[in-house]
Amino acid sequence: MEPSSQPQPAMGVAAGGSQVYPASAYPPAATVAPPAVASAGLQSVQPFPANPAHMSAQHQIVYQQAQQFHQQLQQQQQQQLQQFWVERMTEIEATADFRNHNLPLARIKKIMKADEDVRMISAEAPVVFAKACEIFILELTLRSWMHTEENKRRTLQKNDIAAAITRTDIYDFLVDIVPRDEMKDDGIGLPRPGLPPMGAPADAYPYYYMPQQQVPGPGMVYGAQQGHPVTYLWQDPQEQQEQAPEEQQSLHERD
Amino acid sequence: MPDSDNESGGPSNAEFSSPREQDRFLPIANVSRIMKKALPANAKISKDAKETVQECVSEFISFITGEASDKCQREKRKTINGDDLLWAMTTLGFEDYVEPLKLYLHKFRELEGEKAATTSASSGPQPPLHRETTPSSSTHNGAGGPVGGYGMYGGAGGGSGMIMMMGQPMYGGSPPAASSGSYPHHQMAMGGKGGAYGYGGGSSSSPSGLGR
Repeated sequence: MEPSSQPQPAMGVAAGGSQVYPASAYPPAATVAPPAVASAGLQSVQPFPANPAHMSAQHQIVYQQAQQFHQQLQQQQQQQLQQFWVERMTEIEATADFRNHNLPLARIKKIMKADEDVRMISAEAPVVFAKACEIFILELTLRSWMHTEENKRRTLQKNDIAAAITRTDIYDFLVDIVPRDEMKDDGIGLPRPGLPPMGAPADAYPYYYMPQQQVPGPGMVYGAQQGHPVTYLWQDPQEQQEQAPEEQQSLHERD
Repeated sequence: MPDSDNESGGPSNAEFSSPREQDRFLPIANVSRIMKKALPANAKISKDAKETVQECVSEFISFITGEASDKCQREKRKTINGDDLLWAMTTLGFEDYVEPLKLYLHKFRELEGEKAATTSASSGPQPPLHRETTPSSSTHNGAGGPVGGYGMYGGAGGGSGMIMMMGQPMYGGSPPAASSGSYPHHQMAMGGKGGAYGYGGGSSSSPSGLGR
């Protein structure tokens, strides 16, 4: 049965044609694609109206949860980056040997010389670059790995680097390095990295991530479709157990 | 591969057998080793990710070098030195890099100063490091500091204000314009490289909802 508490016109306007409903409020009548694809769509990009006043109470709760989750994720990543810079200073303070570089100086010099305007290079310049490039590689890799973890993978891929480039302002000069297609693969809980997100425009990048919906209660069909939440998502079941409207919605879904 | 010439290629760069192609990137083995330092032990890195980072590093070098080179030309200097690179990084938004690199450069120069003293004392014919720039080409750096034979450091006069840890000036030239180590952070537009690529919403990391 359709939940009467969800006005159809409003949902239609908010959705804009894409499947953006939380699992517990999923209207069966709106199903166009097969269930498997719909399930995949539910886990992909889920945009929200820019104006909170236009959201229903249901959407406001989910939106707040998404914001909260994003803030926690952001804090965690900021801590990782701060730790990164502390480690760099510590490592350099401990440096005593400047003859063994992690990167070949001659090659660095050749890359510098590729610019025809560059005429002469002091001996210290490639030495500085050897350390600068090491820091650059470490930071880019760390930021890329954050995206890998968000997608619950253990292999760093090209699209993770693309994501790090789009998210970090100082990497603007690198946007031409990665093809635009690689940047489409973004967002948490995407079951298959190669699968295009359902209903998302080609260049739409959400800047927050939906935690997995955990609807309590035995025999819930949607429970089986949920991804495996990572450690820092475990707070969600406790929160949702306190939401009476949520349970009411789940009862409606069962009918 | 149509080109089977392996003379200038290392084993880890077999797919870049062309000498020109080889020189454009840092060795993938070195890049891969550094990447692993940033990741957990059980993490894996795909081949195309390593190659992408190779390209990104070369772009980083060219990006910083281009800015430093422009500065040298404006100041009518011929040699790019470490301070020019640090200035360029600040200008292009890599402020976080400058403090660790200042420390690194300072220690490197200290070590080099010791080497120079040792070499001078032992009357060695050649300094230990290979130098591309000869003293005769640095005529404007005539006034040498304690490190007599290394007048090229005089070229760093314009940016030496950034070196806070220098107890004594190691080079001649004009005194630094900046005082007390403060220098302006000119955030130049980086659109020239990346085109007019824009982000949805404000900051790329802000939790703004997207309306459609």
